[in-house]
Amino acid sequence: MTPDTCWSDLRDSAQALKPRHLSELLSDTRRFDALTFEHDGLLLDLSRQRLLPETLDQLVALAEACQLQQKINDLISGKPVNCTEGRAALHTALRTPAGKSLSLNGEDIVVGVQSTLAKMEALVTTLHSGQWRGYSGEAIDTVVNIGVGGSDLGPLMTCRALSDFKPKAAQGIELHFVSSMDGSQLSGLLSRLNPATTLFVLSSKSFTTIDTLANAATARQWLVDASSLDTEVILRHHFIGITAQPEKASEWGIPSQNQLLFWDWTGGRYSMWSAIGLPIAISIGMEGFRQLLDGAHSIDSHFHQAPLRENLPVLLALVGIWNINLLDIHAHAILPYDGRLAHLPAYLEQLEMESNGKSVRLDGSATQGHTCPVLWGEIGPNAQHAFYQLLHQGTESVMCDFIVPAKRYTDRGQELQQQHRLALANCLAQARVLALGDKALDDDSASAAPPWKRYRGNQPSTVILLDELTPYALGQLIAVYEHKVYTQAVIWGINPFDQWGVELGKKMATAMLDELDNPGLSGSLDCATSGLLQRINTLREQG
Amino acid sequence: MKICVWGDELAGWIAAAQLAAYGNDIIKAGSALAPAESAIRIEPGLMNQLEQGIIGGQIRSSEEEDPFSAEIHWLAIGPGELEAASEIVAHLAAVHQDSLLVVNQSNLGTGASDQLQARLDQSKNQHVVYLPDMLQGGQAMRQFAHPEVLLVGCENDSAGTMFTALMRPFTREGTELRLMSRREAEFTKFAITGMLALRLGYINELAMLADHVGVDIETVRDGMSTDQRVGPYYLSPGCGFGGQHFTQYIEGLAGLLSKTRGSTLLETVLKQNEQHKELPFRKLWQHYHCDLHDRRIAVWGLAFKPGVATVESAPSLRVVDALLAQGATIQLHDPEALEDFRFHYGEHPQLVYCAHPYEAVNDADALLLLTAWPEYWSPNYTELHRLMREPVIVDGRNVYDPQLLHDLGFTYYGVGRASH
Repeated sequence: MTPDTCWSDLRDSAQALKPRHLSELLSDTRRFDALTFEHDGLLLDLSRQRLLPETLDQLVALAEACQLQQKINDLISGKPVNCTEGRAALHTALRTPAGKSLSLNGEDIVVGVQSTLAKMEALVTTLHSGQWRGYSGEAIDTVVNIGVGGSDLGPLMTCRALSDFKPKAAQGIELHFVSSMDGSQLSGLLSRLNPATTLFVLSSKSFTTIDTLANAATARQWLVDASSLDTEVILRHHFIGITAQPEKASEWGIPSQNQLLFWDWTGGRYSMWSAIGLPIAISIGMEGFRQLLDGAHSIDSHFHQAPLRENLPVLLALVGIWNINLLDIHAHAILPYDGRLAHLPAYLEQLEMESNGKSVRLDGSATQGHTCPVLWGEIGPNAQHAFYQLLHQGTESVMCDFIVPAKRYTDRGQELQQQHRLALANCLAQARVLALGDKALDDDSASAAPPWKRYRGNQPSTVILLDELTPYALGQLIAVYEHKVYTQAVIWGINPFDQWGVELGKKMATAMLDELDNPGLSGSLDCATSGLLQRINTLREQG
Repeated sequence: MKICVWGDELAGWIAAAQLAAYGNDIIKAGSALAPAESAIRIEPGLMNQLEQGIIGGQIRSSEEEDPFSAEIHWLAIGPGELEAASEIVAHLAAVHQDSLLVVNQSNLGTGASDQLQARLDQSKNQHVVYLPDMLQGGQAMRQFAHPEVLLVGCENDSAGTMFTALMRPFTREGTELRLMSRREAEFTKFAITGMLALRLGYINELAMLADHVGVDIETVRDGMSTDQRVGPYYLSPGCGFGGQHFTQYIEGLAGLLSKTRGSTLLETVLKQNEQHKELPFRKLWQHYHCDLHDRRIAVWGLAFKPGVATVESAPSLRVVDALLAQGATIQLHDPEALEDFRFHYGEHPQLVYCAHPYEAVNDADALLLLTAWPEYWSPNYTELHRLMREPVIVDGRNVYDPQLLHDLGFTYYGVGRASH
């Protein structure tokens, strides 16, 4: 079968399924067993999707026609799957356990990965034992991560998610994240922190990111002013650089012993498993960090080896394809029912939209249909008080991912356990009402309600059920989404590992900086921009 | 009277020596008839009197006589050993069918004496009396023999009578007896110790400030003690207090305050004390522009205070850990605690154990003085200067004269004495 014939079959199925309401599909009592999939403690429940088990067979046929298995092999074996930049995307190698090997351009990269982990470990041990000293000789007790995008979202999301897993040695270290280029996070922070005990981690793959370097320069000056010491001494004791461009980091002044390196084959939004994860290791310890890697590795092996019809990331991706390309749904909500996953929506926004927000195929032609939908989200119970109204009674079809651990607070008081039960109950209830609408009620009371109290239902959703939120389980969860994104990219025929769309704006901003300093310099601006510029410069001149 | 003394605290040895002098028969529990710690052995008058008691046969070890045969038991055991105390008292209750007096002079915390009492049978006239340990090293014999005031936690008349009779030789000169409940007496002891820790914390805080303001804290301290309300005690700035007992005791009180009152006052003192222990390291770190790699550093004094052979929670541990982490080589000397230190660290490529103080300073980039052992107070400065590679002295106990050292060509850092 060719992809075209697969698409054609799927369109026929979609025509047949579109009129059928989820409440009707869910009346089949075997549906839960037929549409839930499990691997290593992670449960993927697709029974509230608007499809039938046989639809999955058709979707898998499409994946096969797109040579997905071969493409997975290419990804994991280090083929240059990032074709527009001519390199591999080997985030899977970052979680490959020691002892295995993977050759890239004649070099065993697992060895390099493991030696970076060892350097991270030494650094984390020094920090945790209170022996990383600031300029006064006091122990460092505060770490500020300066990074943006992939150098911020992954560590931030993970540190927040795993805050219950701090080993005792890590509890004395306060962790902050600074990303915004305007300095608004940094300026507030610097007024509260003690320079003598603060360490900055500069994370930038290229070490040219203006957002990060602007914040770093402010931090460096703050320390030089506070200590009255040479910049060189300050850089030696208060800055760590994490980068794939060591020369650039050295140029900025980070001494080599304070550099942690990763490689150009690690994409920014796939980099929390690399040295970029240092804040995670500082927060949950190296052992916790290795569990995170182990969890992801478990999914890597599964993604590589499991048949497509049982393959969690593949199935999650195919359901997305079904919703986007066949049911015409272009909004996707991420709804974790656990406050610790507060930053997961933002993390997945970048992972999915920066990866698959593309409209050019690998061969340069335009894509035929839709690719990545608009993705957003919020902690579920809070979103219930914000945008669920639209989900229940608006005009947009939205696909939702509910993410929830079955167990929490098992070693805490009854009251907290009761709060988690409350979250679980809401998660189940919302998924149910979105699917069934007011058919969740008995027929009489539903039809007796006035129009504004009616619930249409039929909004498809996936439930991802974790046993507990642990470093291992979070590693699994994130790896599932990463591979889902890759699978969809394969089917759409696009490159998920570049982000050319963000380049032009950066370039224009540099030019605009000159315009702010020297109004009217280029004289070739559009009227909207020059109008605004004029207005801003007038206001600035007034002081 | 036949009295058995339990434990190795100073108070126990003092009680044994003094009570023996007045005709009591003393059984010292344990095999040794002399204190293990030199800090106790140097207590003026103590060893002499102990010897007399031993020669006269009034003091015997528990190897010579069954300790449980005595009807009065004096407990002077370390903080944190409540369990051991309970076992002793439980055993006493089991073997004694008639009256018993247990004098508890251990710092086991508030409520401990009541717990011990619960092990005894009051109906058989078995009682615990709590006598807070107020003895100060250096004056303990005199203070025991001529107390101005005795605080006594006693809740039974016949026990009070018995205790008063026991102490009569020492209270004839009109000693004031303050009777209170055991719990109140224990709390009073707690409160006094906390107050002393606060004073130490305060003077160390002032010392840090003095460094910034450019005054000598020693001069300021002299001035402070002229105010009667302040007085001279527990106001010596230094690189932190250590010792298992004192620290443990304060930790207990700090924990109690924070748990029941949400008060962080003493916790702050303890936390700052831990940071203060690293002060000599910080001075050195700053002197060498934040780079101590491959420096050779001499450390004089490892024990937590002079006169003891242990390094339990001593500043030396924190300082040596910090120096090791920075890749320095450390040449160590201590008159008594070197072995205990070696027991903690073992052989280490960066540690050199020295039998002689001048061996330790050989070729050194700095000398850190962490314990004020008497033998360190007046060194041969010419020899020191000749032996050291860099004449830098960090004086963690303010035993040296800054001006003199400056004149002799040393770079001197004290605690709260703007550098010379």
